[in-house]
Amino acid sequence: MLEPLLEPLAEPFFARALLAVALGGVTCACLGAYVVLRRMAFVSTALTHSILPGVVGASLLGFSPYLGALAAALVTAAGAAWLAARRGASEDSAVGVMLSVMFAAGVALMQQANSWRDFAGLLFGSVVAVGADDLRVIGVTAAVVLLGLRLLHKELELASFDEEYATLLGARPALLRVVLLALVALGAVSCVRLVGALLTTALFVIPAATGVLLGRTVPQVMAWGVACALAGGVGGLYLSYHFPAVPSGAGIVLCCALPYLAARLFAPRR
Amino acid sequence: MIRRWASIGARRLSDALFAVMPTIPYARPETRACGGLAVEARDLTAGPSPDAPDAFGRISFEIPCGCRAALIGPNGSGKSTLLRVLAGLAPRRTGEIRVAGEAPRLGRRRVAYLAQRPRLTDPFPLRLRRLVQMGTYAHHGWFEECRHGEETVDRALAQLALTELADRPVGSLSGGQLQRGLIARAVVQGAEVLLLDEPFAALDRASRDVIEAFLFEQGHGFTVLMATHDPADLPRFDRLLELRAGALTTRLACDGHDHRHA
Repeated sequence: MLEPLLEPLAEPFFARALLAVALGGVTCACLGAYVVLRRMAFVSTALTHSILPGVVGASLLGFSPYLGALAAALVTAAGAAWLAARRGASEDSAVGVMLSVMFAAGVALMQQANSWRDFAGLLFGSVVAVGADDLRVIGVTAAVVLLGLRLLHKELELASFDEEYATLLGARPALLRVVLLALVALGAVSCVRLVGALLTTALFVIPAATGVLLGRTVPQVMAWGVACALAGGVGGLYLSYHFPAVPSGAGIVLCCALPYLAARLFAPRR
Repeated sequence: MIRRWASIGARRLSDALFAVMPTIPYARPETRACGGLAVEARDLTAGPSPDAPDAFGRISFEIPCGCRAALIGPNGSGKSTLLRVLAGLAPRRTGEIRVAGEAPRLGRRRVAYLAQRPRLTDPFPLRLRRLVQMGTYAHHGWFEECRHGEETVDRALAQLALTELADRPVGSLSGGQLQRGLIARAVVQGAEVLLLDEPFAALDRASRDVIEAFLFEQGHGFTVLMATHDPADLPRFDRLLELRAGALTTRLACDGHDHRHA
């Protein structure tokens, strides 16, 4: 009876994929709590999409794809901040400009590299192709992100809830925002293998949005988000194993959406 | 059972983590004590934003320690600007100011400021107790957990009649209850000078009574500077500062005693 659950575990690639999805899911769900509460979903979309030119550029120049992706994410964040710094400019449109410019640059670079097929995994995810090196990157990123969130928990909570009071206490909310964006960039880069550059936002937003419906404190929101991400990640992997017509990235995102839908329908009203 | 063990384990782990981190204060500590005058301003000029014209020019006033002062004046006369300058949130263009013995700056424990419409993120998963506890952060710094200060938080909650609401989510509180929570947070912070920007605007009667009783009748030794529009409030104050057409006039002598009927 447990055959459909146990059979895939015998395959090394499936076990690696499970571990990668679990680590990445925890990272993104915890970061996602702040992304959702601070309404930074659009910024996180821009960061994840800008991974495309970074990775393609790195492969053209012969760099590590992770370094390229991180550099591109930082360029996006810095560019959006610079565009928005002018008086009268809105941050929203600055982020929109950077998102589309970076993605267009990525498409142009793909044409240069002359192979769309090689980068399909980048766009749509290829968790089954995760190797030991990728696992190491995902694991180190998870450790860095969780450590950062734990150490800065009280400051991030304060600055996210009441920015002016954080300013008054001298707790530097602007600096905290930069740190948070850097952590989001790091998380996005490490998780791009799981669901692809186009869908990585989903890992930040859907589990955390579920958490916001169910949790009453920030740690509770993170805990529910982690539960949702794990359920969605594991469910999605099994789904695509048994129904090869469903790509793993899409399966993970669709399975994450189920707990969200359930929470939306059945969570007690406040 | 498992949940309890997990929480104890997580706590041990994070205690060990914080133990190896250096503690860095948010701001440099306050040195001088309030010497007789809680607020003193000489030739102060400021405007609401960097490219706006002056809201007031070269005003001078004093508020002795323990005095309850009202800041009155028509809309747009610069009441909010003055409070923000005293809080250290906005720069001054000319003049000298001392608030609790020091020039205004950020990161001060002795000075608390409450905006007219606090911009709080909503919805946000936070209980009232945690909101009030945020005041204790003023005594801590980066990489420090604040587990103590529970009694201070309990006392402040009781003083503002919030004990029963302590575990309620912040989003479910009324405007008045939230305002009381923010004042409790300033108390927990250890503030001696309270800068309040129209704290009674759009408040229900019950919350207003609690806040008034707290500020005026219990003799907590705060210095209060409160912007207000309501003439009914004025007899309670020891000193009136009126901003009108860019100038400030001081009425009523306040030497920290009861001069309400002067």
